[in-house]
Parts: sequence; structure tokens; C-alpha cells
Amino acid sequence: MPEKNVQRLPAEELYQRELDALISAEADPVPTGWRMSPKSVLTYLTGNETVRGVEITPKYMGSRRLVEIAIATLVTDRALLLIGEPGTAKSWLSEHLSAAVNGDSTKVVQGTAGTTEEQIRYSWNYAMLIARGPCPEAMVKSPVYRAMETGSIARVEEISRCASEVQDALISILSEKRLSVPELGLEVPAQKGFSVIATANTRDKGVNDMSAALKRRFNIVVLPTPSDMATEMEIVSTRVAQLSAGLDLNARQPDGDVVEKVVTIFRELRSGATLDGKQKLKATSGVLSAAEAISLLANSMALAGSFGDGRVSDEDLAAALQGAVVKDEDKDKLTWKEYLENVMKKRGSAWLPLYRACRELNG
Amino acid sequence: MGGPVLFGIRHLSPGAAYHLRQALDEARPRLVLVEGPDDLNEQMQWLCHPETRFPAAIMAYTRTPPVRTILYPLAAYSPEIQAILWAHEHGAECRFMDLPSSVFLALQAAAEERAIAEMEAMEDEEEAPEELEEPEEPSATTESIYHRLETLTGEDHDTFWERTFEQLEDSGEYQAACNAFGAQLREAARDNIARTAENLVREAYMKRNIRDAVNGGIPEEKIFCVCGAFHVRGLETCQPMSDDEMKSLPRLDSTATLMPYSYFRLSSRSGYGAGNRAPGYFELLWDAMNGKGIGETAYLYLTRLAAAHRKAGNLVSSAEVIEAVRLAEVLRTMRGSRYPTLQDLRDAAVTTMGHGQFSELSLAAADTEIGKKIGLLPEGVSRTSVQEDFYRQLKVLRLEKFRAPELQRLDLDLREKLDVKSRDAALGDLRRSFFLHRLRVLNIQFARLLPSRQTGANWGEYWELRWTPEAEIEIVESSLLGDTIEGAAAFALRERAEASTSIAQAAAIFSDAFLCGMPEAAKHALSVLQGLSVDAAALAEVAATAEQLSLVVRYGGLRRFDAAPVVPLLEQLYLRSCLTLEDACICDAKAAPAVTQAIDRLNALQLNHDFLDQDMWLKLLERVSDRDDLNTLCSGFAMAVLLERGAVDEELLAREVSRRLSPGVPADLGAGWFEGLAGKNRYALITRLSLWRHLDEYLRGLDEENFRRALVFLRRAFAEFSPGEKNDIAENLGEIWGVNARQAAEVLMNDLTEAEQEVLSGLDEFDFDDI
Repeated sequence: MPEKNVQRLPAEELYQRELDALISAEADPVPTGWRMSPKSVLTYLTGNETVRGVEITPKYMGSRRLVEIAIATLVTDRALLLIGEPGTAKSWLSEHLSAAVNGDSTKVVQGTAGTTEEQIRYSWNYAMLIARGPCPEAMVKSPVYRAMETGSIARVEEISRCASEVQDALISILSEKRLSVPELGLEVPAQKGFSVIATANTRDKGVNDMSAALKRRFNIVVLPTPSDMATEMEIVSTRVAQLSAGLDLNARQPDGDVVEKVVTIFRELRSGATLDGKQKLKATSGVLSAAEAISLLANSMALAGSFGDGRVSDEDLAAALQGAVVKDEDKDKLTWKEYLENVMKKRGSAWLPLYRACRELNG
Repeated sequence: MGGPVLFGIRHLSPGAAYHLRQALDEARPRLVLVEGPDDLNEQMQWLCHPETRFPAAIMAYTRTPPVRTILYPLAAYSPEIQAILWAHEHGAECRFMDLPSSVFLALQAAAEERAIAEMEAMEDEEEAPEELEEPEEPSATTESIYHRLETLTGEDHDTFWERTFEQLEDSGEYQAACNAFGAQLREAARDNIARTAENLVREAYMKRNIRDAVNGGIPEEKIFCVCGAFHVRGLETCQPMSDDEMKSLPRLDSTATLMPYSYFRLSSRSGYGAGNRAPGYFELLWDAMNGKGIGETAYLYLTRLAAAHRKAGNLVSSAEVIEAVRLAEVLRTMRGSRYPTLQDLRDAAVTTMGHGQFSELSLAAADTEIGKKIGLLPEGVSRTSVQEDFYRQLKVLRLEKFRAPELQRLDLDLREKLDVKSRDAALGDLRRSFFLHRLRVLNIQFARLLPSRQTGANWGEYWELRWTPEAEIEIVESSLLGDTIEGAAAFALRERAEASTSIAQAAAIFSDAFLCGMPEAAKHALSVLQGLSVDAAALAEVAATAEQLSLVVRYGGLRRFDAAPVVPLLEQLYLRSCLTLEDACICDAKAAPAVTQAIDRLNALQLNHDFLDQDMWLKLLERVSDRDDLNTLCSGFAMAVLLERGAVDEELLAREVSRRLSPGVPADLGAGWFEGLAGKNRYALITRLSLWRHLDEYLRGLDEENFRRALVFLRRAFAEFSPGEKNDIAENLGEIWGVNARQAAEVLMNDLTEAEQEVLSGLDEFDFDDI
């Protein structure tokens, strides 16, 4: 039973009703090891349908085609690699995919610089190892190991942050689909349905570049930033509302036009062109993802709630923008100035106060 | 039930072509009627000519301007072509049955006029906003139904069509499905009256052609009609056109011809009806259908794509291709079709071979899906509208006498002539210039531009003209680019603009468009230029481009060019230069002259255009002049500019001179600064005695080694001075040294002694260690 005070529930518990409805309404063939057909997984992720009286909420707002490719990859027993900018819902999608396919999204290896090979394969309970010698009970199985045994999906988060020997450990697992335990003379074959979903960050390029051998074992799906203005505004305002409700910020929700301004500026600087596409711009060095816009707005709300009148003013916004846009001192400052003069200044009276506040701060 | 066979097709559909041939084999008709202008029947023989290679196009165009054209592109997999070829192979008679092209062109002209009238009417309505308008029920046009299909299936129309129709393997099934789709579309779509009317007229005309054939003695069941699926129901039910109706059809004087076409052009023609974004892929499909079957396409496509990707220098393993085939298979089952579509194949390839990025595969995809195929027609068949347009322009512009094998000169005066009657004549030379520049842009070797004879006179243009047979060929080739010389030039400029990688290139294209008198093309080049300027570029390049644009803003009027769109870009380039100037001044001695040149250009720019911020510029120059950590040549030059503009008072100048030329300042820095200062407006320097006193004191204070260093810079600085100026300096120095000005001049102007010469030449190899 889900507990009330848990900060965050796994997807399969949070959306249990939806999953159950989809399973009970299943009409298409279900692949071995799966809980529902690929089509139902698609419905679970893209939502906007009612199944057996249960409304399926959309989990991923974006290209349906990309979700299709991701699911199809898992059907072909290839591993799936989700790549994207920070804040493009990679882990989110990976969690919901495994929740829908297996009803279990918790077999996760969190990739860090300190991740070791044992965390991909298996390690030992040393007290028991010393007391009883190598035996199956003394073995601590990794999430990947358990996924192979049960024929389900293991998730590897931020794979490009792991050292290369850790990444290499995955290669043999993905190609041989077996894992050997020489200490016990065991050879564990992966059950049908086993697969791996890994995520990687494009901004981490070069930290620990994935080897060609490993890349070749993955089907790669690149998750884009939100494709249009309306989608991004929707994502940003829903998430800001959810966030601020949980945080007691004492500030009013930012007006629609404030959100619009932030999203406009972010989209333009991110894509390096004005929204109408008529004018090209310099892009900044920092990440300007939807996630960044959300935290920027929450931040200005905290400012306004704690020190202002509870309304996000242009000055609050300008301060937050300055911090978000100008990361690499000199270059970004010039870029931001050019943007202010060439684009924002010419936007008319609605933008003028913000322009002034920004110019003041940028110097 | 008898009656002629009506076979509904989609234009440019390999599936339709395949099933059509089977249906023809079965029906064995004596007469094949094909949807296409029936005044083009005599062109049909060329389509069957053994030398002909597809793609080709039938083109009809009006003889008088404005030139209107209609184009029917045909590929080897066009059902129409296959029907014609079948008839040719089997000795059956074959004719086109649609309205003649002259009528089509007239209808097109009428439609355009109507559209303009509607636009005007809309504008009138906007003026009277008081009237409440009933929100109009959005009527379902053919396009809107295609759109709805796209939202419903989540796929573009081409993919929908391929999945649903193209993959049907049974001919009867295909024909039934196609006809049903056409009929339902017909029922659901309420196109505007004009379009519906046009369709009805066409169908009545086709029906008349069928009736005539029957009356000509061919039994109905031996007639086979190939037409768009949309028209099948219409042809079944409508009445043939009467004689009176025939007579009332509008007509325009027109010509029709065949022309070679290319897959690239075919793919860039958008629109749902004949959507064919991937002719290369469709050819694969056609080959597969006639080979091992449609299932073969996936293998053909993916292996070809992999090969192209390898050729572009990338690694693709066979394992990846195999994975792509498997993934495409799963993707198509998720969509419930029999075979993977192009979309499935491409997505699978991107995921397995392209690391998730289409951009990695884009070159190989373009090669496989579109391809570079260009058609071929027997010699002398083409008489395209561009050729026609060329000769007409020659006549109108009175350039006909230049169409001769000997070389002739033509001098143009672009100014408006005030002593002639008509406006056309007044600007005659300008029009000629436009025309010749357009030919130049199209690489038609007919006219060659000679360099301008008078500097500064921008109204004179000098050409050399000579006619060669090659020029004729080049003109035919340019018909692939457009319908008229102007249209082709616009297309060529557009292509070149999109391919340009530096702002200098884009600026050159912009000025070509300007010279051709084509504001639209200029605007496009300008937007490309804007895009490139963001990532560009050295200060010098930006400043040079800005100067070029400035010329257009100032003298555009001469060529009747509206320069208003250029102004914002000029502002942007100016702002960018101002923002980067300070950093650019941190440079070595080699790069400094380019920077001072840029400063000079920007200064002229600011002086010529009021809309460029003067305060910002002067403040910037002050900073450059003031800072010690920049290249001193640049700082000195900034000071010279400020001096010239009267933005510096005596006091500041005196202070700067003594600061820059104070003892202890390394010779290359001090003398470099002076060189910069002397780079401009020397007269102001010469008149300031205090300056020379300072310089003198400074030089005296230097030791031997440093003096030699200083000499190198100073010699360079003074090399540019005229003898008169040098004389004036001598006068100054005479005064400082307390000697007669003439004596000083003698010393200064005398030829160097041999010993001095030697020392100086030694300086040429002076080693500046760390400079």
C-alpha cells in the first residue's frame, strides 16, 4: 500500500489504476515477459484515452513517433539508449516505460563517477562470504542481474557518467545475454524479456564517451526539447503550479504573459533564432531547458513571496534571467546584450519594462 | 456492365502504375485515354522515343507576358507514362483526354484574378470592422480532409497513402480501394465553387472525348481511361460537354513542349495531390514491384542508404543494417501495415545507424530518397518557356542586334532619362542592365561585364556581348530552374544563397540580386546574410559587409531598389562590430592594420547613416583610445578618428601625446601609437606644433637600440605622407630645432647617403623578438 508521507512514489504505484485498466482491456498479443502489448504501452505513455472508465493521462508530451520507436526497440530485445539535453524527460520516459512493460521501474543503476563494475554485475555480502564461503546466499545481485533472471527491464541512469570499465561490463551482458559467476561456477542466461534502458546527457559529451562497441548495442533515441511554444508553455506552467503548491511559496502564480516571455526568451536563445525564424541569434553557453525555465520561475516566485508583494515583477524576472542566461561571463554578456538590443527592444511596449530592467542589470 | 474501363490512379504512384499495367494486360483495350491536355497528343511520340529518359515534364506556357506555365512532371513510375508505354508496346491507340493546355492556362489566369479580387475585398472589409461577421463554417476542402487524415493517423499523407494503398498487392483490390477513396473524398470535400466547377468542366470535357472515341467506332469496352481517382465517380455520372459549352471555354495563346526534368525538382514540388517527396525511393518501390515483390523495398532502401552513408565517410556495419530491418518490421506492425513504409525505414535507420540523429544520415538519405537523376530528351524536342522569354526580352529591350557571333560593346547609362516620352524608355538602360545581370547570374555566356571606367561614377555600366550556340544550351538548362529568365535567376540566387557559408559570399549574392533588380531574392539573401553574421566572423569581414550594404542603402535609388529592409541588418552589423571592436584591438602588429581599416569603415558608416548610434560610437572610440592594454596602433587610430570628428580637445590630445610618448614607453609601442595617430587626417596633426615637440623630445630620449626600433614604425608611418605634407613637417621641425625651415627640409628630403641606406636595409630584417 502506498504510504502517505513518501516524497515520491514510483510510477507503477502512482499510476496503478491506469496500468490495471490497460492490462484488463488487453486485446493484442503480449510479448513474453511483458505485462501488456506494445500498443497498450504506447497508450499508457501518450494518454488522452479512456480505457474501461479510467482516464489515461499523458505521461510524455512530445512526439508520439519517438515513443513508438522506443517501444519497438524493446520488442526487438535490443537495448534502448535515450539521449537528450538536461531536462528533456529522459529518466521520466525510462521510468514509465519499465513501469508499463514490467510493472516495476525500480531496477535502477544510478551512473556516477563512483559506480563500479560490481554494481552492474554482482557483489558480495562480505560478512556472510567470510562466514560461509562463496554461496548463492552471500551474493548481492545487481539490478541488472535481477532483471536478467526475471526477464525484465533494468535501467541505467546517466550511463555516460560511468567510467569506461563499467560501461564495458555492459557490453558482454548485452551481446551474450548471459552473466557468468566464476566463484560459484554459475552461468546465468537472461530470460526472454530482458532489456536495458540507459539514459545519457548530451551536455556530458566527452566526460566518459561511450565506446563504439557499446553504442552499437543500443538503439539510440534522441529526445528533443519541446517542439512548439504551446507545448512548452503548458509543460512549464503545469510544473510551476505543481512545484509551488508543494513548496508554500506565498506568491501568486506568474501570469500567462510572464511565462510566455520566459519561454519565448528561452526558446529563442536555445534555438539561435527568433520565433518567427526571420532573425538568427547567437546561442548562449548555458542550458536553457524547460526544466531550467521552471526553476527560474519558481525562483522568482520565492523572491517575490519572501521579499516582494507576492507578484513576480519585471525586476525579479530580470534578475533571474540574468543569472540563467549569463553563465560564461564575457561571451554570454555580449550575447545577452545583443539579444536585448536587437530583439527585445523592438518587441514593443509590453516588453519595455523587462527590457529596461534587464539592460540595467547587464550593464 | 460494359462501358469504358475507368482506372483511378494517384499521379506519381508506383503502385498505381504497377496495377494499371496488369489491368491493361487483362483488358487489352484498343484505345487508351490518359488524363492530360489533349492538345499535346503529338508530343506523346517523344515520350516513347528510345532515347528518352525520365523524369521529363510536359510544359505549357503562354506566349505573352505575364508568362503562365503549367507543368506535368512524369517519372518512369508515373501511371500515365506506363499507360502510354503500354499502348506503344501493344500497338494500341493512345490519346490525352483532358482540357487543352490553353484552356488550363486561361482558367489559371482567371483563378489568380479572382484571388486578387478576394484579397482586395478582404482588405475593404477590414476597414469596416463595425459589422459583425458570422463565423463561417470551415468548409471541408480536399486539403483540410488530408489534414484531418494526418491528425487522425498521426502520419503525413504520403506515409498514409503508402501504408494504405501502395502496399496492396492485388490489382482488383487496389483499384477498388483507390476508386472508393476518390469517391469518398469527392463526397466529403466541399471545395470552393471555383475548384468544383473546374473539376466538373474537366470531367465533362473528358467525357466528351470518350464519347467521341465511341462515336469513332471503337467499342466502349475496348476503351481504357486512366484518370485521377477523384474523377472516376464524376466520369461515371456526368454528361459530355456540348458544342456550345466547348465554344465558351476561355483560351490563352499558348505553346506546349516537353522538357527534361530532375528528381530534385520533382521532390521539391509540394502539395498533397502529387506529393512526391522521395522520387528516388519511389523508383526503388517500382523496381521492387517489378522484381521480387514489394517486400524487397526495405532491403533495397536500407542497403542503399548504408552504402551512401559509407560513401560519405561513415562506418556502417552490416549488423546495424540488419537491426534496422528488424526495427522497421516492428514499427510497421505497430502501425498495422503489411510492409514498412519509407517513414518506418527511415526512423529505423536513424535509430540504429544514425545514433538517433537524422542530421547524421541526411546526406545519405537525400541521395537514396531523392537522388540526382536528370531526364533526357532527344535533341531539338524542347522549346521551353525560358527560351521563349529570352527572345522576347531581347526584342523588348532592343538587344536583338547583339545576337550575333561577333563581339559587340554596349554602354549603359542607368540614370533616368528625362527627355523621353514613356517611363519604359526612360529606364530602358536600367532594364537592360537587370536583364544582362540575370543572364550573368544564370551563367549564360552571352554578356560579359567590363570593369567600370570612371571611379565613383556608379551610373555607368559597360558590357561586351557575343552570341554562341553554347548560350542556347545554357538557356535550355536554366529551364530546370524556372519558367522565365527572372524566375530562373531567382531560383539560382536562392540556391546559391542557401549554400553560402560566409557572410562575404552571402553579401556577394545579395549584391547580385540587387544588380538584377530582384528585391525578393535580395531579401532572401539578406536573411541568409543575417543568419551567417551571427556566427561570423572577424570584425574586418563584418565591417566590410556593412560597408557593402551601406552602398546599397545610399545608392539603391539609382536602381529603383527599396533599401528599407537592409537598414535593420545594417544596424545589427554595426552593433555587433561595436561590441567586438574592443576585443579585436587586442592583437599583434600583423592584424592591427585590418582592425584600423575596420574602424575607418565603421566611422564612415556612422557618418553616412544617422540611424546608427553616434554616442555609442564615440564612447567606444574613447575607450579604445584610452586603454593601455590594446594594440597601440589601434588606440592611436581611434584617437585620430576622434580628432577628425572634433570630439577631442587640445588638452586631452596634449595629455595623451605626453602619456603615450613619455620616456620609458617601449619604442614599438610609442611609435606604433604615433603611426596609428598619423593614419588619418594628417593636416590636423601637422598644424599642431606641440605634438611634434613631444615626438622630438621622445625620440631624443631613446637609446640607440630603442631608436632603431622606433625608426621602423615611424618610417612606415611617414611613408604614406605626400611630399607637401613632409615639407610642412619639416617646417615644424625647423621651428622646434631653431633652424631655417629650408635647411630642415633639405636634410629631410635629401636622398639618403649610402651609409644610412645600409643601416635602414639592415632594419628590414630587424628582429622584434616578442612582437
